[in-house]
Amino acid sequence: MTKVKNQSRKKVKDNDSELIQAINSGQSDKFHDLVKRYEQKLYNFSLRMCRDPGDAEDMVQDTFLNVFRYLKDFRYETKFKNWLYKVAASTCIKQRRKSKFAPDRELSLDEFRSQDEAEVPFQVPKWALMPLDKLLNEELSHSIHQAILSLPEKYRVIMLLRDIEGFSTDETAQILNLSPSNVKVRLHRARLYLRDKLKGYFENDE
Amino acid sequence: MTSDEHDHKHCLEMFEKLSEYIDGELDQLTCADIEKHIKNCVACFSCVETLKKTVAICKEVKDNPIPKEFSQKLKDIIQRLPKPSVS
Repeated sequence: MTKVKNQSRKKVKDNDSELIQAINSGQSDKFHDLVKRYEQKLYNFSLRMCRDPGDAEDMVQDTFLNVFRYLKDFRYETKFKNWLYKVAASTCIKQRRKSKFAPDRELSLDEFRSQDEAEVPFQVPKWALMPLDKLLNEELSHSIHQAILSLPEKYRVIMLLRDIEGFSTDETAQILNLSPSNVKVRLHRARLYLRDKLKGYFENDE
Repeated sequence: MTSDEHDHKHCLEMFEKLSEYIDGELDQLTCADIEKHIKNCVACFSCVETLKKTVAICKEVKDNPIPKEFSQKLKDIIQRLPKPSVS
């Protein structure tokens, strides 16, 4: 039984493994190298999660302090980056529990689909067919950033991990302790929400 | 497909799977079913294209640089941390 258990726990080697081994074997001054590798990505993830730059800084700081504290327990069962985002997501959830925000609103699929056949479009909107480089500009970036911030948190975190940070469905599920099917459902709703915001943006632009 | 033949219920069923479709997470049979449907259904084709473009735009979101003062603050905090004992 133990043998089977050990076999299933394959060690994951990635670009961070050597550095982590060095830190855990006493070269703790190298921890700053690890921070340097991820501070920019983590700061932006936190900024998109917390909305407020001050809260984002607290989240990054607390995440790295937790990583420093628990790095010894890192078992190389996943990529370090995945473990780091797990710590970050849990730090963010703890911070949110301490604050007095209203609970997340649920996004229902019915909000986004036309129940009535009369509402369905007869042509594809121009923006959806235009090349990406013709669409991208500062105003659109600002608008999509605002739209992401307005997503309810439980949808936002999944959209950020999947579509911005580039984690797979299974990795996102592991990071957030959710089932892959739950990740898929929430991601679809988050994307539909953002699509509706973009529709509004481009329709106003026409 | 004419509008009389248009199966709106089929559209609603597919609507739930479109993110998985664009992520390549569906089995071949379901993919083929969606592809066949969107060839003849402007509404669903539009839905797929707008969703694809939404994801593509999100993937292009640029990162802000980390404020220098904050990066320095992190460095200072880390330097002051007690050195953990090696086991």
